[in-house]
Amino acid sequence: MTPDWSAALTAIIEHPLFSVGITLGVFQLAQLLYEKTRLMLFQPLLLSTLVLVGVLLLLGIDYQDYRSGSSLLTFLLGPATVALAVPLYQNVRRVRAILLPVLVTLLVGGTLATILGVGLAWLLGAEHMVMMALAPKSVTTPIAMLVAEEVGGSASLAAVFVMLTGMLGAMFGVELLRLFRITHPAATGLALGMVAHAIGTARALQESEEAGAFSALGMSIMGVLTAVALPLAVAVIS
Amino acid sequence: MLLRGMTVLISFQLLGTGLNALLLPKLPGPIIGLVLLFLYLLLTRRVSEPLEVAAGGLLRYLPVLLLPPAVGVMVHFADIRADLWAIAGSLVISLVVSLLFAGWLMQALINRQQRRKEQQS
Repeated sequence: MTPDWSAALTAIIEHPLFSVGITLGVFQLAQLLYEKTRLMLFQPLLLSTLVLVGVLLLLGIDYQDYRSGSSLLTFLLGPATVALAVPLYQNVRRVRAILLPVLVTLLVGGTLATILGVGLAWLLGAEHMVMMALAPKSVTTPIAMLVAEEVGGSASLAAVFVMLTGMLGAMFGVELLRLFRITHPAATGLALGMVAHAIGTARALQESEEAGAFSALGMSIMGVLTAVALPLAVAVIS
Repeated sequence: MLLRGMTVLISFQLLGTGLNALLLPKLPGPIIGLVLLFLYLLLTRRVSEPLEVAAGGLLRYLPVLLLPPAVGVMVHFADIRADLWAIAGSLVISLVVSLLFAGWLMQALINRQQRRKEQQS
């Protein structure tokens, strides 16, 4: 009797833990590769997304099945979003003396970033669903995904846009700012954090401790402001 | 430690979900939970150790938690291709403009604050 390989493979793929298993496995491989090479191109979330899409297509697994199989992980997104309050609080406390300029910059600059992103997409003829996924692109991924879904965009599209924005910002941001003689570490950091969120913050930390702190601050306040203001703004406009 | 911190986080999330259903249908429950926890921290002025442990642990593995929704991009390939130029243009131009504007504004405001302080002293 020959061993029935395909039945074994099917049993593995259909196991309720299979989605969780490949997600964890692929992510750790991607992280390892990123740590070894330090190439922005291998940003773990982006790389693992691509690899996982490839694996699912190869094995002929439906996205809906994968999504429901990995709900174990998705359940934790809620508490993780709530947990963002902790770094936000710590950052706000650290820079109390300079909080006013920070808030003004975030309010004005953040509004500009969001309106510009959506407005340009509209001018260039993007669909409503894509526009709404572009709106929270400057915000850290969990908030962006929640908000995009709330305002009628796609959470996964939002995740991709967030990632692209962050990578672009991290690759060229510091040089671009320097070109226009913006060199104060607080200004560089804040701008990077509010436009390019976590990836920008990682880049700012390479510049200096101070730039990193302001970047983290910019990222967390921008995230909360967007999360609160964007759904309300969309509700008022439409 | 971890359990106690997780309980705090989940309680705030559930509180947010309740408020979302009651009063604020436009704001996602976890976001309301985030704002509530932030206000709570502002009031108590300290982050308890269990909370710090749980929040730190969850946030460290945040990318893994985000993978399943991110993989959903596979159902949107056609949408991306249809709006490719709009997406690329919007992403790049708004990034460049808002990055430079935010950096410039922040630097100007800091310099102004410093000048004021020097005048006072």
